Amino acid sequence: MIEATLVRLREIEESDVDRYFNWINDREVTRHLQMRYQVPRLAEETWIRGRHSGPMAFGGDMNFAIQTKDGRHIGSVGFHYVNPENRKATLGIMIGDKEFWSKGYGTDAMLTLLRFGFDEMNLRRIDLSVDADNARAIACYRKCGFVEEGRLREHRYSRGAYRDQLWMGILREEFHARHRGTPSPST
Amino acid sequence: MIEGRLVNLRAPDMADLQRNHRWMNDREVTRFLGGAARYVMSLGAEEAWLRERCERMMSFDNVFFAVETKDGVHIGNTNFFNAGPEDRRAELGIMIGERDYWSKGLGTDAVLTIARFGFDDMNLHRIILHVFSYNPRAIACYRKCGFVEEVRMRQDMFHEGAYHDTIVMGLLRDDFRRLEEGA
Repeated sequence: MIEATLVRLREIEESDVDRYFNWINDREVTRHLQMRYQVPRLAEETWIRGRHSGPMAFGGDMNFAIQTKDGRHIGSVGFHYVNPENRKATLGIMIGDKEFWSKGYGTDAMLTLLRFGFDEMNLRRIDLSVDADNARAIACYRKCGFVEEGRLREHRYSRGAYRDQLWMGILREEFHARHRGTPSPST
Repeated sequence: MIEGRLVNLRAPDMADLQRNHRWMNDREVTRFLGGAARYVMSLGAEEAWLRERCERMMSFDNVFFAVETKDGVHIGNTNFFNAGPEDRRAELGIMIGERDYWSKGLGTDAVLTIARFGFDDMNLHRIILHVFSYNPRAIACYRKCGFVEEVRMRQDMFHEGAYHDTIVMGLLRDDFRRLEEGA
């Protein structure tokens, strides 16, 4: 359990499956995710069970459930493509519970995972891609300190058109310069 | 066989094994590849890798060619990976392992030939590639082929004791067609 200001990050549990199943099939939620098709319940259960083959470790996919301080599960955040030689990872986040959009929960979860990545996993660089028309997410990432590193032209096809994606990255010294003096409450 | 101007692209063959193994252990070649190429490659691992490529039929998400000169000398490989049918996008990889054939326009012709194949035969909309900032020769080659620098991932790649940028370059079908018509 990693404590933050508004949320805590915890392991994903099998009892979370109903919520993930609903979120992942909600087109409003998946609109900006790399998910196009509907997901059967069994596939979702298999995905969650696959996360429990062992304790979380450096590398591969590392996913946390995001929970509010009063225990409501609202989404997940994690790293994929964690690379030890380059000491970098790519970040992904989903706030599936739409009631918690635009209230700072996503930003708090992002900052918490960034701090965990830099200060516990000893990463040097964290990056992500985002649809160029996803203004809400881009604003959140900028607030966290991510810098726009370029634009992938006509990279994704969805909703009837080819759409650009932005690539954003943050280096550990940029993170520390910006968020010094705000250690996570658990430390 | 896909014919280019200076090179041909053909299916891989187990007879290519020794050459591929030699290239994958040539640090001058592998320093530009990243990934597992950071380490040295055993003959067994190389054989397993090549066998998989030789046994599978080529398909939209599995495109891998040996690059040959017009005299039939195998000088490298080029491939598409991470291909997505909805986005009609694929990622391009190329290696000219035979160093005597560097800087003669053969790599450029191989890139143009596989790109033409991607757009005209696979119906791709876009091709991307990753290249490290310490590989200006490759960057110049990709520019010549119409690729545009779209992203610079800062300090993304650790190599020879320092961090370097990774550059993502992209090519759209319309731009490629214009380039080919102008040529």
